[in-house]
Amino acid sequence: MQIDLRKPELVMKLDRLGSFHQSKLSFLRSFIREFKNWEFTTEKFALDKQGFGHIVYVVNNGQKQYSLICFSNHIEDSERSDRVIATKWDASFVLFDGVPTEEDIERLNDNVPLQEQGRVSEKELCLSRANKSVRVFEHVVDKLSKGEQPNTKLLYDVGYLYRTTAVYGSGKFGLADRIKIQNREELKGPFRLEMMLVYLARQFTFDVVNHVAYSRSPNKAVKLKEDIARNLGIGNSTGLGMAPFIVNHPALLNQWIIAKEKALKAIRSISSVSQKDKNIFQSYLSIIRENIKFWKTESDFQKKKNKQLLKDLSIFQKFYSTFPLNKFFWNSIYEWTEANTQSECCEFIISLMMEVYPDIVEPLSFEMSINEDEYFDIDTSRTIKEVCELIEDQYTWLLDINFDDKENILNFWYYSKNKQEPRMSDRFTEEGSDLELPLAIARDVSALYDDLKSCNLEKDLGYYLLKNQEYRHILRRVLICEKLPYSEIQDNTISKTLIPVDMLRLKLSFFGATRFDPRSDRWVRITMYQGAPLMREISKSDDTWSYKKIA
Amino acid sequence: MHSLYEIETTIKRSSRAEGLSWGVSEETGKAVRMLEQSEFQGLESFRRLIGLGLNNLNKLLDVDQSNTRNLCPIHFGIFFLDQSHNKELHRTYNFKNINEPLLIVPFLSKSAKKNLLYFHLKSPDLNFTITPGGIYFINQNFFPKNLTDFSLTISTNRKSKYTQSSWDYLYKLSLDTFVEETEEKKISGAGAGLTDND
Repeated sequence: MQIDLRKPELVMKLDRLGSFHQSKLSFLRSFIREFKNWEFTTEKFALDKQGFGHIVYVVNNGQKQYSLICFSNHIEDSERSDRVIATKWDASFVLFDGVPTEEDIERLNDNVPLQEQGRVSEKELCLSRANKSVRVFEHVVDKLSKGEQPNTKLLYDVGYLYRTTAVYGSGKFGLADRIKIQNREELKGPFRLEMMLVYLARQFTFDVVNHVAYSRSPNKAVKLKEDIARNLGIGNSTGLGMAPFIVNHPALLNQWIIAKEKALKAIRSISSVSQKDKNIFQSYLSIIRENIKFWKTESDFQKKKNKQLLKDLSIFQKFYSTFPLNKFFWNSIYEWTEANTQSECCEFIISLMMEVYPDIVEPLSFEMSINEDEYFDIDTSRTIKEVCELIEDQYTWLLDINFDDKENILNFWYYSKNKQEPRMSDRFTEEGSDLELPLAIARDVSALYDDLKSCNLEKDLGYYLLKNQEYRHILRRVLICEKLPYSEIQDNTISKTLIPVDMLRLKLSFFGATRFDPRSDRWVRITMYQGAPLMREISKSDDTWSYKKIA
Repeated sequence: MHSLYEIETTIKRSSRAEGLSWGVSEETGKAVRMLEQSEFQGLESFRRLIGLGLNNLNKLLDVDQSNTRNLCPIHFGIFFLDQSHNKELHRTYNFKNINEPLLIVPFLSKSAKKNLLYFHLKSPDLNFTITPGGIYFINQNFFPKNLTDFSLTISTNRKSKYTQSSWDYLYKLSLDTFVEETEEKKISGAGAGLTDND
């Protein structure tokens, strides 16, 4: 039986992309697989009794070292904000290439707590910050200092002690450029350094509560039980800043999606499936259905999705329990799920199927990076007719959208002058649409198509561009999409009906985030590394930690 | 010292703020990045160029156009990047003058590699050849037949080739592509609350 990749017109719709779940391809899991045999140590522990000061963690394989320097500072409650407009944070982090000297730490202490307002150097690789979950932090410290363990219900409802609010890399604020590290073998997978920073920051959160509790009551205090700590991740609060990334990096997006689609195709193509494999899937399914109960959210949008997921999983379970192990079992499972459940459940089942086949899935995680510059240049020898045909073939979905209708062009994306972060506003009520970012792909491809159709179709693009440079950026995208068919979100990113949180969810699922908790249609809290091995036990990780039972 | 990422994005935004299209601005950002990575004064050259006012410069739109004075190097470079796949254009052209010729080098370099071409530029002040092999000869007639007492330094450290004031000027200009935030936008644009003490 010939199984094909799923078509981009199915996969690249935003409601589908916004239903993706973490999987074996997720970057935080591939980070642990890549680094599990490195040595993780606490190089320096310099916190005062209140937990302020710094800690340095080192990751070392005997030849190469990376260090996370964590700065812990006092801030007032009124200053604590997850928004990118904040200027102070409970903790700030910088990932250093090598082991820092005292001079380096002093320099970084003057700059890292300032985040965007500070300057770092090409010795540094990533930058981040985090705020305490106030209610959980105080509860945990209080209980530990009294010699008791904290209330796990409260802990697991929140899921973390601190949440990060941004992780910067690749040349921002003076950090090392990507080209400096891109050829390092251990960094071949995407976002490896960012994942390292977040993993070590999670360890920092445990070390801080243990230290502060001990300082409060040296004779009574106990340490947070490792079984409890393991079930805590690190939170993240993400706003619109993340959304344009997936539009601005079409080649990279293609690599992420196609890795998943190749995995699914390979699994659906297995002709003979063993009872053992079917049972492994069942065991993960049973555990995760229990863990979903810890996905807390105030968002009606997400509540509805979670409720539907649980309902669909219940229906799925009945089907799965009785469906016989016929030939191409997984293909039948996939086709049934696609036909009988919503996208949220369908993508969830695909993630679970991937768990059963590490030999198929894990190698694909090394195909998820790409040299984007190779796709930057426009082949100007192509004819106008060829590009029209490409648009008719690849962008069929947008050709019928009426861009004269206000609702289809309601929003515009822009950079905020204050924080230099992407934002989205109503073009008809807010000022600034003259400075719109080139993220209105559907509208611009449509305009390009209309313009091309009015030209001599036999002429080449070199001729066309002589007088039409305003379409250069969008022409580049059309040609990228020809080579990389999963590079384009097939939805109108400026329409009234856009749900930006779907764009965030897409990216965060590839990071490996769980417990999506949208706080509005353009801001979401998530948890990372919940259930992951602690720093001292990382070498024992078998990559099944995402499916361990919580509580 | 600024990262190459910062240089590329700042030049891209400055170009856009000066009225170039997003697509051309992307090309300009990459061109200046390439020059700075090669330790040429790309950023300073770009700053001088916009000081002339891009609208005051002459765009090359046709190799046979009559007025080739006061040419813009970005449009000159993009012209040859876009057109030189056409074999009918493979000959010698004479131009009156061009501003900031350094900025044409990345475009010609890309075109040379893409189309396997050789660009030989000759003038009383400057001669250079750009080849698809990526090795450039600048004023090659000045190369002596042998060298004595010379040193060779190998380094991974890129040196900044522009002044802080040029950076500040262009960075400020790049902010002109950003939108000033009203109080309303601060709340609705990003979609989050203002304090997070939970």
